[in-house]
Amino acid sequence: MPMVLLKCDKDIPEREKHIYLKAPNEDTREFLPIANAATIPGTLSERGCAFCGAKLVIGGVLKDTIQMIHGPLGCAYDTWHTKRYPTDNDHFNMKYVWSTDMKESHIVFGGEKRLEQSIHEAFDEMPGIKRMIVYTTCPTALIGDDIRAVVRKVMNERPDVDIFTVECPGFAGVSQSKGHHVLNIGWINDKVATMEKEITSEYTMNFIGDFNIQGDTQLLQTYWDRLGIQVIAHFTGNGTYDDLRCMQQAQLNVVNCARSSGYIANELKKRYGIPRLDIDSWGFNYMAEGIRKICAFFGIEEKGEALIAEEYARWKPKLDWYKARLKGKKMAIWTGGPRLWHWTKSVEDDLGVQVVAMSSKFGHEEDFEKVIARGQEGTYYIDDGNELEFFEILELVKPDVIFTGPRVGELIKKLHIPYVNGHAYHNGPYMGFEGFVNLARDMYNAVHNPIRHLAAIDIRDENPAELPEKIREAA
Amino acid sequence: MTTCEAETPAPHAAEVKLIARERAGIINPMYDCQPAGAQYAGIGIRDCIPLVHGGQGCTMFVRLLFAQHFKENFDVASTSLHEDSAVFGGVKRIEEGVMVLARRYPGLRVIPIITTCSTEVIGDDIEGTIKNCQKALKAEFPEREIHLVPVHTPSFKGSHVSGYAECVNSVIQAIARKSAPSGKLNLFPGWVNPGDVVLLKHYLKEMDIEGTIFMDTEDFDSPMLPTKEIDTHGCTTVEDLRDSANAIASVSLARYEGDAAAKFLKNEFEVPFHPVDTPYGIQNTDKLLRELSRVTGKPIPDSLVRERGIALDAMADLAHMFFANKQVAIFGHPDLVLGLADFCLELEMEPVLLLIGDDKGSQYKKDARIKALKTKAHFDMEIVHNADLWELEKRIKAGLRLDLIMGHSKGRYVAIDANVPMVRVGFPTFDRAGCYRHPAMGYKGAMELAETCANALFAHMEYTRNKEWILNTW
Repeated sequence: MPMVLLKCDKDIPEREKHIYLKAPNEDTREFLPIANAATIPGTLSERGCAFCGAKLVIGGVLKDTIQMIHGPLGCAYDTWHTKRYPTDNDHFNMKYVWSTDMKESHIVFGGEKRLEQSIHEAFDEMPGIKRMIVYTTCPTALIGDDIRAVVRKVMNERPDVDIFTVECPGFAGVSQSKGHHVLNIGWINDKVATMEKEITSEYTMNFIGDFNIQGDTQLLQTYWDRLGIQVIAHFTGNGTYDDLRCMQQAQLNVVNCARSSGYIANELKKRYGIPRLDIDSWGFNYMAEGIRKICAFFGIEEKGEALIAEEYARWKPKLDWYKARLKGKKMAIWTGGPRLWHWTKSVEDDLGVQVVAMSSKFGHEEDFEKVIARGQEGTYYIDDGNELEFFEILELVKPDVIFTGPRVGELIKKLHIPYVNGHAYHNGPYMGFEGFVNLARDMYNAVHNPIRHLAAIDIRDENPAELPEKIREAA
Repeated sequence: MTTCEAETPAPHAAEVKLIARERAGIINPMYDCQPAGAQYAGIGIRDCIPLVHGGQGCTMFVRLLFAQHFKENFDVASTSLHEDSAVFGGVKRIEEGVMVLARRYPGLRVIPIITTCSTEVIGDDIEGTIKNCQKALKAEFPEREIHLVPVHTPSFKGSHVSGYAECVNSVIQAIARKSAPSGKLNLFPGWVNPGDVVLLKHYLKEMDIEGTIFMDTEDFDSPMLPTKEIDTHGCTTVEDLRDSANAIASVSLARYEGDAAAKFLKNEFEVPFHPVDTPYGIQNTDKLLRELSRVTGKPIPDSLVRERGIALDAMADLAHMFFANKQVAIFGHPDLVLGLADFCLELEMEPVLLLIGDDKGSQYKKDARIKALKTKAHFDMEIVHNADLWELEKRIKAGLRLDLIMGHSKGRYVAIDANVPMVRVGFPTFDRAGCYRHPAMGYKGAMELAETCANALFAHMEYTRNKEWILNTW
């Protein structure tokens, strides 16, 4: 059974090329969803824009950097209060956003003066902050403001500040993925190797493609500390601007999110000869495998095994408790892209959960190759799924829980299907050993949920369906 | 002269200053941009999916914002503008988007086509494209009437407040038609919550007035049903919009959010226009009910006198004991903030700082409510327009003493970091449960808001161990 044309897509038959139902004895040479292609207007797609891929996903995570968005206020407002990436300096990155508040006169006469003034004001108002990223947006890109020239001028006038520019308007590319790319390549071109930091360990690495969602980075950092590995830079969870200027000093690049951040790892390899090692940080098997690979690289296998043994002793019984109760549950994943292939096999191996449908907003075809290889037969693999498609797929696969964003979560609540936040998590972190127990707990709590049963009851029924006598057990 | 006398400050006349933000840039915006407000108006219409002509982020984030505030999903579509459109124009993507929506959503009756900064800069001809789309729709769906409404909301003008007003006005302009008098009243409440809509409907019912609320968002608060039906939608129908031209009058409750459409109906169809001060607090609600009575000839019933009395009874328990002399900062939509300033004065609180957005200094100078505050306030008050939330934060850092902050969730960290109790009101209020369900308008809204303020102060007294023992007996 190859590509699928859903009933709701009869008027947009080109969608058939984006939806695959995996069958026995097929492989991705024959069937691979088209991905990273333009969305059909009016389909109620889930996609965001390239600007948000750069600002909200990567740049805005940094804990010491002003995010100056050159454009009307909306692009700043919308990429603020939409992420859960705390920091160890009181969440500076989540508290503030900056806009040049562009008005019509600047569209007509140019906005460079406005930008220059806004940059000076921002540094003046927060004298402790010396680093900044300046982003273009749709209108400032269209009118052709030269933000690099403005930034050069300001940096000449203020020798103690450093500013990075990202020229990635919302209309660039087909999704947020374009913004990831622009920021990655811009950073290696402009900022890597402009600074050196003190080396404190004989083992050094960059940890790339992890954004400290609910403390992921900070949890994993406890492992690196125990292994005696110095992380030169986190790209970009709980990270600092200056650490990222030192990425050339690392011996190894460890990549978690290959979609958003693989580009910079490739460039670091090409330009500085630093090897790239891809790992999965979600799931017990994968995390252990990742730690083993890293430790093998540094020749500290024994330390790695000791860490894994300690973590297993502490967390594996808890994981198994949830596994016994989640086994056979059906899960759908509707997130950005990489989490499809990070999660599908780990929930199966570690929790006995079957992933029955997956949709990616911005994954590329290589991401679908990975997820189809790891995923199950009888599962739907969807590129850039839209709302009507979701309803139809839900009827086909009837999942017990969906990992997705809050808006879709609100929608499926009406269908009595619980959701867990697959982007920002419910109660994370979800990475690492402890994190995957958190994920299992949130999934258990979502599925074993009395309200879902209550919602199914019509109080006018003479013989209403009875609630299970015992829905939950003490964890 | 005794020492005591020497320390008594000389009395001075209270000063109410209206000033603008001085910085060019914004640190922490109070509002979103115009297309966001237009989308909010659009989702208030039944059988309507707004189509936003711009980048995908202009839609995706706004849908998320609505989901955060209402804990519900709302449908808004995008034309998914890309580089080729930036170079060659994007009207083809509107045409494609309209047809895809019409084909896949058979019940669809209205598509507001909402522009953004990018498509206004490119200069796409929206009106011309709509004509082409109408021809294509007629050919493919001869039985259906789908209203395509041009809504021009470049993000580099105004804010989501003016974008909301623009969309309401555009939709009325496109759909309102003169026919037989309806005997109904048009009510333009502005950008309010479902809780406020329910309250206004209750007032109309109690006064035996037939009225229509633009936009009727009551069902934004929607149930989980055994049938799994999804019932989250705007309640303002095409018929309501069409018939707005035949009303006995329009009452606008929000100068910056409702007046434009009501004024259009007056100019175009001679529907009498009655603006009232936004009904936050007791006196402003009194004015609304009196105006409703005057316009319709219907008396104010005993039931509303009683509701008013219940609110006053509750507020009297709080005012001079807990609220008197408390210094308050309020930020949000101008109609909300100015109304809440009156609400605070009724409770003996001192709203020392009002932050309102938008680059409309000249309009604010003419606003009678601001002039009235200048005579009513017995304390120094700053009203900052074109404000951002840094205006609040930097004043606190510079020593402004506040006992309470009233505003939306985007200001939460100002309150958290300064350890000032904060009451969530306005839009969005995603970090408190259920705000959208409760009215802030009317007697009931004033009462519930006063009680929320009191409970916030009480909890703060307990957490900070500041005379929490006062409540040992109350």
